[in-house]
Amino acid sequence: VRRFLLLSAVIVTALILQTTVFSEINLLGAKPELMYLLTICFAILEGPASGAITGFAGGMAQDFLLDAPKGITALTLTLLGYAVGMARQFIVSPSPVTPVVLVAGGTFAGVLFYGVVSFLLGQLSTGWLYLLRVSFLSAVYNAILTPLVYPLLRRAAEGSRSRRVAGW
Amino acid sequence: VAVRSRARSTRLLVVALVSVSLMTITIDYREGDDGPLASAGNAALAVVSPLQEVVSKVTHPIGNFFSTLFRLPSIRHERDVLLERVDSLETQLAETRADQTRLADLEGLFGLRESLGPKVETTAAQVIANGVSNFEWTIEIDKGSSDGIARDMPVIASSGLVGHIVQVAPNSSRVQLIIDPDSFVAGRLDVSRQTGLLSGEGNQDLQMSLVESTAEVEPDERIVTAGYKIRDVAESLYPPNVLIGTVSRVLQQDAATEKFVTVRPAVDFSSLSLVLVVLSRDGAQ
Repeated sequence: VRRFLLLSAVIVTALILQTTVFSEINLLGAKPELMYLLTICFAILEGPASGAITGFAGGMAQDFLLDAPKGITALTLTLLGYAVGMARQFIVSPSPVTPVVLVAGGTFAGVLFYGVVSFLLGQLSTGWLYLLRVSFLSAVYNAILTPLVYPLLRRAAEGSRSRRVAGW
Repeated sequence: VAVRSRARSTRLLVVALVSVSLMTITIDYREGDDGPLASAGNAALAVVSPLQEVVSKVTHPIGNFFSTLFRLPSIRHERDVLLERVDSLETQLAETRADQTRLADLEGLFGLRESLGPKVETTAAQVIANGVSNFEWTIEIDKGSSDGIARDMPVIASSGLVGHIVQVAPNSSRVQLIIDPDSFVAGRLDVSRQTGLLSGEGNQDLQMSLVESTAEVEPDERIVTAGYKIRDVAESLYPPNVLIGTVSRVLQQDAATEKFVTVRPAVDFSSLSLVLVVLSRDGAQ
């Protein structure tokens, strides 16, 4: 229950921030994608299952709030959370840079995947070059934001975990 | 075994979530903008938007600051472009103003020419220089004998009488202003019809003499030229009824037989630019 509350709080906060602060910050034609950042962070901290759940919940929330075709972000983020969680298990020596690299790569792949799915559904109205550009810029912004967001989330996650009696 | 079952359950979870996502996409895609999913989205938006409003009120300036920071180069470029534009527009404005002044002058001259009557022949001339000496009040105009100008021709501006030609060169001529101390003009008070002689006093107002002491002279009364014509014998230098100026001061001396009247000229001689030279008054040179 505590984890569920934590997850909801984080997702709602991220959503509101995404639609207010970060919709204003439009640098060079792209915005940071907080929900991607969040999903990847949780996947690194908690593993593939948690990552997938976070991604699904966050993606659904974003899909319903933003006037976008519903479900695509949820699909993208579910797969992204799972994939990053799996990848995390194969990294033997964690370093402080690991989350930054994972966030950058994950965001790039995620936004690209979102673009491809949108294109397949006939919802994408922009060119491929623009999509690549946006993916790259979002990845860079999220990588920059990682050192700020990741420690916060880790503290929150560890706080909720330490009170749990049994782990997964 | 535990690890493997955990991995399997995770895989199952992911497959389930992906399926739900795909279902959502499909349903939304098939229903368009009117389906239950779309209305659920609208409802969620209605719940969250007040929150967004509050947060954005706080964070809007911050976001603005950052986006301005990043757009600084383009803003600077924009400013340069705008400055350039302001420059060119200001130049245009000044040109337009000069054109307007010139147009007003020309319109005034045109009206003046009309008022002089159909028989009068005139030519417009540009003032090119003011007098050089402190003791003579003259201007030079850009028309001379090649344009048919001769000595003693009257010169008029749109606001009133200017003077007469005293010296003619092929392409320029000199005009003695009515404020020159050597200039004398026969003038008539507009209301009382009294005539008098106006003599120049330099930079001070004109003096009007030979006004009978019994005449009623009011300040601000208009004074026009008193033209006269004795057939085949003599003709006044200036055409009749051209405005000279207005009465500025009347001094009554009981013992004197004439009034002391000063007249402020109607023309501002320091800012003359276009004048009209009267070539002939009855159509024949």
